[in-house]
Formats: sequence, structure tokens, C-alpha cells
Amino acid sequence: MKENKEDREPKIVGFLCNWCSYAGADLAGTSRIEYPPNIRIIRVPCSGRVNPLFVLKCLMDGADGVLISGCHIGDCHYSEGNFYARRRFAILKRLLEYLGIDSRRFQMSWVSASEGDKWSKLIKELVQEIKQAGPNKSNDKKHD
Amino acid sequence: MIDELKIKARELLKNKQVDLIIGYQRASDGVLAMPCFVDREEDVDKLIWDVYCVYNLANYLKDYAGQKIGIIAKPCDVRSIVVLLQENQLRRENVYIIGVECSGVIDEKRLRLGAKDIQESATFGVKCKSCKSSTPSICDYLFKDKEKKGKISEDKDEYESVRKLEVRSSLERLKFWEEEFSRCIRCYACRQVCPMCYCPKCVADQAMPAWFSKGANLKGNLSWNLIRAIHLGGRCIDCGECERVCPVGIPLRELNKKIEKDIKELFKYEAGANVEQKPLLASFDKDDPGDWIK
Repeated sequence: MKENKEDREPKIVGFLCNWCSYAGADLAGTSRIEYPPNIRIIRVPCSGRVNPLFVLKCLMDGADGVLISGCHIGDCHYSEGNFYARRRFAILKRLLEYLGIDSRRFQMSWVSASEGDKWSKLIKELVQEIKQAGPNKSNDKKHD
Repeated sequence: MIDELKIKARELLKNKQVDLIIGYQRASDGVLAMPCFVDREEDVDKLIWDVYCVYNLANYLKDYAGQKIGIIAKPCDVRSIVVLLQENQLRRENVYIIGVECSGVIDEKRLRLGAKDIQESATFGVKCKSCKSSTPSICDYLFKDKEKKGKISEDKDEYESVRKLEVRSSLERLKFWEEEFSRCIRCYACRQVCPMCYCPKCVADQAMPAWFSKGANLKGNLSWNLIRAIHLGGRCIDCGECERVCPVGIPLRELNKKIEKDIKELFKYEAGANVEQKPLLASFDKDDPGDWIK
């Protein structure tokens, strides 16, 4: 089955912090701002809760992209959770790239509870980028 | 020369300063070295120290938690002890570090492949060639090597091979790593030999949830090797043991060095350098780079 790269709808997993980004995405929804339905949202207490294993499991089990989104620096509900996340995932991002996994597949963002607009814009861009990156190869049979 | 070391070891055991000394002894082949555990004064004579003492003995420290241990440690081994101290896996008063000056240890594989002269630098471990210090950063007693040949370090860019891989295309890199990882048989020797891998239950052994496949397939292998490297981020001190023990020759140091290089660039952090410093991922700086985040 041949699919056009641009036509295929990618699956993206989003880990959203409960306090900012989840509320931001919710605001986008209640304000009726449209954004592509490609993102599957998983609510986590804090971006600092996200483990590199989560990202890896998503990518290995067929997600085309992973987004971690949290409060802006300085706004973390737990004061410093996003500082830890920023360090941790800077390393992961570079390592994924080094292994030859398209760096567009793993992204991070800060979206506050009042940034419904930013959220919608972000997801539109993200979906575009991941469409360009093409389907995640880890779904291929040879990997099993 | 070695007598000096033996006298010190005997003294430590006699005064009950330590319960056990972890060091090296000659292996049964009469050439290579193997770890040795000395708890009686009469066994002290077994101890040796030379270029064949490749193992990082810090790996054994976790097996003797709560006991007073004397350990013979090279500069790289001392760095791993520093990380264990930073992470509260050891108490400083429980470990007596007998530091040894080291100008490089041999690479068994190269030796087996027929290097003639052990002093020939080609037979030394690759990690030794980029090693910056021949004297341990912390120790309770320093055993000076009077016949020391000086550093064998070649003062080359220690990240040369990482950089070479970095400039290749994303597809080439993926192909390279897929080829390497496809050989992995998931023996976990890299984990067992690593002094930093001390989790009572490794994620690779977890079943609920099973984070990645336990089978030796490409997906599982890629996941395992990536997670192993990530879990060593800011902790790996490049003792090179993982790569040494890998039965299928996966260049694991290329992964470890990559992270080492990144954290140096991003956070100016060097693992195992300072006992007082907090572990990299258990701390943060308000000015950590964040320009990659949208």
C-alpha cells in the first residue's frame, strides 16, 4: 500500500502538564480554536514527571512524534519541575538525533494556561513537520 | 616497588582500618590480571599492580555496603567512586581509596590480535589515549609508580570519532547504529560490569510495565542501548568497561562519549570530577539552554 507522504495522518503523543499546557489545550478547545486532531494527549502532573522511557516507548510502538509540553520556565506549579525536564530532554533530543532518529519527532514546548492560540499554532506546525519527516520507520516489520 | 603497596595493605588490615581490600591478582594464565579480595594479612602478597589491571573494581563496592573497604583504584576508577559518593551510594568513611598512578592499561582484544610489545601504545585501551590525568583526583593513599612512563594520552580530540559520526547524514547514522545494535544479544554484560548500574531492579527486567521488548530484536536492542546510555547521562566517567566486555563489539563508548560531550557543551558538567557537586540530572541551572524548546 503506497501512501503519499503528505497525505498520511501522523500520530503524535503529547505529554501535557496538568497545570499549564493541558489547561492551554483545553482553552483552545473551549475557545473553539481549531487544531489538527493528530495529537493524542496524555495528562501528566508536570513536565518533570515525564521519563525518557515514555518517549522511547511511544516512538518504538508506532507514534510518529512525541511532544512534551509544560509551564513556562519560572511558572512551574512545583517551582522547578520543568527545569529538570529541560536538562533531561536536552540530552535525549541530542542522543536521538545521534542515533539517526529524525529530531523533528521529539519536541518540547512551553504553553501556559492562557495560550490557547499558541497551542493551536504549535500543533499545526508540529503536524506539518512530522508529515515532512514521514512515517516512523520503527513500525517496519524488520524491526520486530 | 609493589612491596610498598603490600606493606600499606597489610597495615590497613592489621589496624582493622578496613575489613577487606579489593585489588588485582595475577590470573591463572600468568599474564592477565583478575580481581582479588583480600581479608587476611597472609593473602596480601597476592596483590599486583601493572598494565594488565584493566578492571574497574568500583563495581564491587556496592556488594559490600556498610563494610569498610580498601580499594585499589586507577584515576578512572576513582572518578566512578566519586559518582557513587555524589549519589549517596557510598559513605566516604567506609571506603579507603588506595589510588594508583596510571599511565594506561592494556587492551586485551588488541593484545590478542597480535600486538608484539606491550609498551607499544597501540596495545593500550582507547580510553587511555584520551585520559587526561595519571593521578587520582581523590585518594587516602597514593601509590606512586616510580617506573611510570608518563601519560600515554595522545592529546588528540577525545570526541573525534563522535564528531565524525555526527556530521554524517541522519540516514547513515541510523544505518550505522542499526547494524551495530542488530548484533546485540542482550546479555546485559554492559550493565553488569558498569559501576553506575546499581538499580535493584533494572528497567530492562521490568514486566509491569515492560518498557521495551526483552527479545534480541532490533527495536528492543535499540531501546535497551539508548536507555542504558540515557541512564548514564552525566554519570558515565568513561572507564570503558561496557565496551570492553561487549561480546559482539558494539561501540558503546561512542554513545557514552556523545552524551559526555553534549553535557560539557550544554551544562559545562563533567561526571565524577567533584564530590561536592550535585549529580547533573538532580540539579539544574536557571540559565540552562532552552532555545530548542518551542
